[in-house]
Amino acid sequence: MDAISQLQEQVNKIATIAFTTIGTLQRDAPPVRISPNYPESESAPPPNPNPNLTDDATDFAMQPKLMSADLVKAAKQFDALVSALPLSEGGEEAQMKRIAELQAENSLVGQQLEKQLEAAERELEEVRELFGQAADHCLNLKKPE
Amino acid sequence: MATATYPPPPPYYKLYKDYLQDPKSAPEPPPPIEGTYICYGANYTTDDVLPSLEEQGVRQLYPKGPNIDFKKELRSLNRELQLHILELADILVERPSQYARRVEEISLIFKNLHHLLNSLRPHQARATLIHILELQIKRRKQAVEDIKRRREEAQALLKESLESLEDTGASLMLK
Repeated sequence: MDAISQLQEQVNKIATIAFTTIGTLQRDAPPVRISPNYPESESAPPPNPNPNLTDDATDFAMQPKLMSADLVKAAKQFDALVSALPLSEGGEEAQMKRIAELQAENSLVGQQLEKQLEAAERELEEVRELFGQAADHCLNLKKPE
Repeated sequence: MATATYPPPPPYYKLYKDYLQDPKSAPEPPPPIEGTYICYGANYTTDDVLPSLEEQGVRQLYPKGPNIDFKKELRSLNRELQLHILELADILVERPSQYARRVEEISLIFKNLHHLLNSLRPHQARATLIHILELQIKRRKQAVEDIKRRREEAQALLKESLESLEDTGASLMLK
């Protein structure tokens, strides 16, 4: 994919990571204890169906870290892509000038090519004719006995 | 099951009744449209140019000017974006009801980013054109060299065969 499309994809990726981060955190956040009085007693720890599963709270504490690491990684990659842009210096005028030069050179080389082609075709015709003559002479010399 | 019939063809076909005998008796096709035109209620323009941000009602965050340093502006917009995302996270923690303005600013930054990237496209197109022209010149020069070499080879072959013919002719005469 070309450089600018990659940059555009990276921008969209950053946007996706940003809103999925905030959305997931808002949706899955466990309740926060605001006042020391309420609830009266600590609610029973959620029954673990499988003792091998890690606790939900630790899982959830890892989420912001992982997602923000992702975001920073995506932003760094965007910076890397920006520095890798093959942006030639000189604005539009310099490019147009270069295009005009290249077009002139192209037409020149095109004319040379045409000349060479014509000369080559002429020589081909000559050789063909000579070959025909030589073949005729060969036929004439080899008279049937 | 009732099916509707197809709509009738437009009535212009009657104008082309004698087209086979006299091609000039029928009206000419309409000329291509220039300027702006309306299609399904939306306005389109035939001038293919990227509309500037102000025309779309979006504030432009990077400086205007004849020559913009794209890399620098892209990088600074990236930093701004990160900062704003952090601000959004902070404000969601402390004053969640005031998210709207932050979200608006983040979308403004994204619009600026995309507009900058889109304005790089004409530059890319010209660079592609330059590259194609250079390739074509290289190929044509190569072809010229090839033809020249082949012609010289052919000349050499002819001369060689001529000499060998003269040699055999001379040897035949001497016999």
